[in-house]
Amino acid sequence: MGRVKSAATEPLMTACEVAHHLLKSCESLREFKSFMFGSSLIGVGTDFDILVVGPSGKPLSRLKAELRLAGKELPLDVLHMLPMEAEETRFVTKTGCITLEQLAKSEAAPPCHTNG
Amino acid sequence: MNWQVAYALENFSKTHRTASAQHLRDDAIRITIPDRADVVAIISAAYRINEELVKQYHGNFPDMNFLCGYRKACVWEGAAINYLEINTIGWGSAGTLDSAIDKDNVNTASHKDYFFSYRLIKQIRSITNLDREFDRVFTMTLASGRTLRVGMIMEYEPTADAIRTFWDQFGPIDIAWNINPNGHPTRNAIEAARNLGCEVIKWDELKVLLQSR
Repeated sequence: MGRVKSAATEPLMTACEVAHHLLKSCESLREFKSFMFGSSLIGVGTDFDILVVGPSGKPLSRLKAELRLAGKELPLDVLHMLPMEAEETRFVTKTGCITLEQLAKSEAAPPCHTNG
Repeated sequence: MNWQVAYALENFSKTHRTASAQHLRDDAIRITIPDRADVVAIISAAYRINEELVKQYHGNFPDMNFLCGYRKACVWEGAAINYLEINTIGWGSAGTLDSAIDKDNVNTASHKDYFFSYRLIKQIRSITNLDREFDRVFTMTLASGRTLRVGMIMEYEPTADAIRTFWDQFGPIDIAWNINPNGHPTRNAIEAARNLGCEVIKWDELKVLLQSR
């Protein structure tokens, strides 16, 4: 798990690094829209809040298994919504979700903070 | 140092101005607060905390004041909660520990997500017996003799997946009580619950149900 495994000896992962790590480790994320939201985006909070929007059933079970492995040494909190639910709740807009892709691309630039 | 201890220390330094925390050994940290006794908190990465694990921690750290399940997904078994409360050891999430430090009630604090709701239930007179199976699941017997198994759902927007996952993890429940006062279950969540054989309700509906049965 690269840097995740040695989180205690190296600086803790930033939100952007977590996004990059998840996209790289979880192949099934391709079948979903994935976001980060909440306090970890501003460098506070006790965990990284992740939203995945997509199908339920087997694809979701696969994704959960991948996320569990990728998050073995990360404080992740994963929320799944069906596309209909995301539309109904307008969660992405309301909570200021940022796509994992967007975060991963901005890894070298602000805003990228250590979760805490 | 374990990963969860590293995150807990990092978070602590950002959240608290006067208190400081340092790694003690293994999963334990020591929190120093001016003019107060030091606090020993165990930061656990367990997905599930049972009585056996709690006893192990307590054996290794007899002076522990608080047990923190650092993962959001961490589940606490009723017997573990009972052991901790009998031994006056606080328990809960990282957020619970933060609040307990601020309120100076580390030894008696319980998981902040469920504290208010469960206390409310304990105060209802029409409930003659209450058994907390997990931090978020209890079985209550009403004066009428009827028994209901209730799951406390904390999410702001309980989704169909949240309801199904809860059911898979904890078994059948009669009521999925959305305890977040600002929460609004999605239509899919309500339908998923109905298909499973339970209902998603808020406090106002649960209150009526308790009064009417």
